[in-house]
Amino acid sequence: MLAAVLAYPIGMSIYLGFQDVTIAPGGFSGTFVGLDNYTRTLSDPAFAMAFRNSVYFTFVEVVAVVLLSLAVALLLNTPTGRNGLFRVILLIPWALAPVANAVLWKWIYNANYGILNVILLQLGLIDEKVVWLGDPFLALNAILLADIWKAIPFIALLLLAGLQNVPGYLYRAARLDGASTWQRFRFVTLPGLRVPILIAIVLQSIWALKVFDLIFVLTKGGPGDGTVLLNFLAWRVTFNFLDIGYGAAIANILFLLMFLLALAYVRTLDPNRALRKRAAR
Amino acid sequence: MSRRTRRGLARAAVWLLLGMFIVLALGPVAWGVVTSLMPLSALTTVPPEISLANVTLDNYQEVLLSDQSLTRGLVNSAIIATLTAVISLSLGSAAAYALSRLQVVGANKMLLGILATQMFPGIVIAIPLFLVFSQIGLIDTYPGLVIIYLSFTLPIVIWILKGFFDAIPPQLERAAAVDGASPFQVFRLVILPISLPALFAAGVFAFIESWNEFFFAIIFTRISVKTAPIAIAEFSGQYQTLYGQMLAAAVLASIPVVVLAIIFRRFILEGFVEGAVKG
Repeated sequence: MLAAVLAYPIGMSIYLGFQDVTIAPGGFSGTFVGLDNYTRTLSDPAFAMAFRNSVYFTFVEVVAVVLLSLAVALLLNTPTGRNGLFRVILLIPWALAPVANAVLWKWIYNANYGILNVILLQLGLIDEKVVWLGDPFLALNAILLADIWKAIPFIALLLLAGLQNVPGYLYRAARLDGASTWQRFRFVTLPGLRVPILIAIVLQSIWALKVFDLIFVLTKGGPGDGTVLLNFLAWRVTFNFLDIGYGAAIANILFLLMFLLALAYVRTLDPNRALRKRAAR
Repeated sequence: MSRRTRRGLARAAVWLLLGMFIVLALGPVAWGVVTSLMPLSALTTVPPEISLANVTLDNYQEVLLSDQSLTRGLVNSAIIATLTAVISLSLGSAAAYALSRLQVVGANKMLLGILATQMFPGIVIAIPLFLVFSQIGLIDTYPGLVIIYLSFTLPIVIWILKGFFDAIPPQLERAAAVDGASPFQVFRLVILPISLPALFAAGVFAFIESWNEFFFAIIFTRISVKTAPIAIAEFSGQYQTLYGQMLAAAVLASIPVVVLAIIFRRFILEGFVEGAVKG
């Protein structure tokens, strides 16, 4: 059944990408158009923009989430931070329904009464209210911030689990050799976290490419398509414009991107597994 | 600087950072909860008039009673998420046990394949399924959504449970087999009872995922099985100036999943987060 729900649609999606699908009375009918849907992406300004936005969004999100999560994980790995209370605090943003998160940030960004403007005005950082969702680039970054905030908990917990797997004797040995705090971080902690960090990068890139709820609630892709990412574009083309063949082509391009990332994930896990098996023998 | 003052400073810095962490992690959530408890008049003054005297449950009363769509959404979400969790567990535990014990050829490859399904962008699956579902009448039905949700909760459930089953010493099963238990009895009477924590973790995970899901819900529901996230998104589109009610709806939809996550935190942290690192 799993195969039916996953393999069939993917095959079908590839097939649809080569079709011009129209909605006829009583069903759908398609005509074969070869690579037309794919060549169309090359000359479609909406696609070019969504592609650029996706690249920017994914890059910034991954860098910010991994660095901030690493900071949080290190903080929660200190003797004081190890208190379980802090991990519970992390679980709250993680479990929050993404749509609830989107509504929450829509309210925070509200131009007239939003708390963000109130705080920034009182701190004197801005002189007048900013319409956060009114400018394409500002809106894209506003969505980024909301998504980064929601993504940090899981990655931080993942890195924290990785930190706790770094054997304590390595730190003691480094200390005996006279390594400074920075050196212990650079030569013991970071190498020990190599695999978890790689996993975090791959998972977070995939999740960044999937962002949908936030765009839907905060901007619906606007202003001026400034917050349309590939995933959102494929959805809009298919289900709003009913251009099913073209939508499938965009979806397939996205699929290819994510498939490459998935391969990277599997590759990252696999040698690790082999090593562990050897150690167990 | 003496060693003691340095250590004192370091400790103060950690406390300061932890304080910042708490404010940044909980601040937005706290602000959302406060907003949901305030009348509109207190929110639309600058700066907002937040005081205990203003606290009211009016927003909650309004969203639950005046507009039925949120209530219906919460009920639909509860039904769909429960069905998904229960079916994922019954199918997933059997599959995970088979993969862990019966030495299926290529089990590891299969597992990685299962995990790779997590990487598919939903839209690739959504477009063809939409065409098929609209032909066989599964759009806007409980089974339709549950089938879709199973396609991404099952792999994770299998993943979590297989890791757990692998850690159970095979001697236990051999002992039961010597006593004359069939493989199925071994599974039901020996393995399942000691796997309860892992089963809970996997079930809670499946529940949270399908409760929160938005993308497929917006494509595959129309009127009758709209889930809570859809109701909230529509509400926030329609009544964007009723800030307090908007946030009350968001809080209501988040309470079940946040409470579940906190109750089962140990299982989530051990079963899921560490599973992702160890592979």
